Amino acid sequence: MRLPRFQPLQPKSIEEAAEFLGKYGGVAEIMAGGTDLFPRIKYGVASPEVVITLRKLSRESQIAIQDGFLSIDSVTTLSQVIRSELVREHAPLLADAALAVGSHQIRNMGTLGGNLCLESRCTYYNQSHAFQFVEPCFKRGGEICYHVPKGKRCWAVFAGDTVPALMCLGAEVEIKTATDSRRVSIDQLYTGNPLRPLAISPTEIVSKILLPKPSARTGWAFAKFSLRGGLEFAGLSVAVLLEMMDDGLTCTGGRMVVGSVSSQPLRAKKAEKALPGKQLSNDLFYEIAEMISEDVKPFSHHGYSASYLKKCLKIQVKDALTLASQRVPQSP
Amino acid sequence: MKTLISLSVNGELHELAVAPQATLLEVLREQLDLTGAKEGCGTGECGTCTVLADGQPILSCLTLAIDCEGTEITTIEGLAQGDNLTPVQQAFLEKGAVQCGFCTPGMVLAVTALLRESPNPSDQEIKKALEGNLCRCTGYNKIVEAVNEAAERSSSTNA
Repeated sequence: MRLPRFQPLQPKSIEEAAEFLGKYGGVAEIMAGGTDLFPRIKYGVASPEVVITLRKLSRESQIAIQDGFLSIDSVTTLSQVIRSELVREHAPLLADAALAVGSHQIRNMGTLGGNLCLESRCTYYNQSHAFQFVEPCFKRGGEICYHVPKGKRCWAVFAGDTVPALMCLGAEVEIKTATDSRRVSIDQLYTGNPLRPLAISPTEIVSKILLPKPSARTGWAFAKFSLRGGLEFAGLSVAVLLEMMDDGLTCTGGRMVVGSVSSQPLRAKKAEKALPGKQLSNDLFYEIAEMISEDVKPFSHHGYSASYLKKCLKIQVKDALTLASQRVPQSP
Repeated sequence: MKTLISLSVNGELHELAVAPQATLLEVLREQLDLTGAKEGCGTGECGTCTVLADGQPILSCLTLAIDCEGTEITTIEGLAQGDNLTPVQQAFLEKGAVQCGFCTPGMVLAVTALLRESPNPSDQEIKKALEGNLCRCTGYNKIVEAVNEAAERSSSTNA
């Protein structure tokens, strides 16, 4: 499949990329690793006149401690995130989530910023429409849904694996335009609207991901369920962070985020409330796994039924909590 | 309007006029006659277009040629020295890890990169490193055996 004609621009910095966006706004797309945009262009669901390619910027991307935060340039490749000693020390949950994305080749090209800004997906949307389909679906600007025939809305899911981990870690995101900059909590990046999953305008670009200093005693785990177990988007993904008292046994709180089952990652806030003050135990994990379904109602997607994902979720949450508890540093 | 770029492929520098939206895969196959890299899907889901960029596996079907200036590209044609196959290539042949051969260039390059970084990988590490390379013929077992064989040979050579 050949790419249709477009004008590529190769900015020398994120700031220059933001300037290009300011100039070309509605007819330009950002290409970081190319692993999301180019397939969509080839399927005919994206047709930018201008492609602002950030591939060369990845070579100079920085990961550093800045003002008490772990600052990761958005053009950092997922492989660079995984290999970074700073990430492994301060946010191993992120390294694990990045390792779950795609394949080695995709991780060498795809960036952390790109994973945050993945377009939402659906089996029917993410393929060429040349021969099979009579009318465009909701996400393509039409008025029908192929996933739910006679459905009245879009059911595309947001499947970025790193986002549940970043939400657990309390990440913030710096977003730039040609003239301005803003910083938001990562939860505020997602609209929950499958037609437009990101709260970013066409003239904005994610420039940095910032992680606060972690608490001293935490346990963490990332789990991703898919059929093949590699090179696939998740059927569902779970990120778990447990914060513990100095005794290493009593939980002071925690976060649990489920990805790829809805149009945005979902925090299990009600289930999280069951954690503070409790001693970690198998029984507690089973109890929380049961509570998860009050917060998280999976969509059916990509061949996984909603009822299957609901059951799968309980198992993945329980396993993730168990692994997280095993990773809590023991008291000296 | 075509763009003039300098591409370093298998140690040789080429000055090429490429369409701005030309992928590295198209340029390798159509302008440099290096047809080892294949188009299996064109969307990053099969790995048959795998080449090494500064020693790291990437998908050439999703890479613009213009973004490859200043990068050393290695294709399957750049591995063997004349008739002397590398240990990985040798092991693939001897273990029956090649059937139709379509996935083989991408596989061999991915394995070569793996063994450079992790000379003695476990089966799990091998499968993780090769998760981006699909094979419809072999069922992968012979490929994993070939990787283990290549790892053993390389370590006994270095011992």
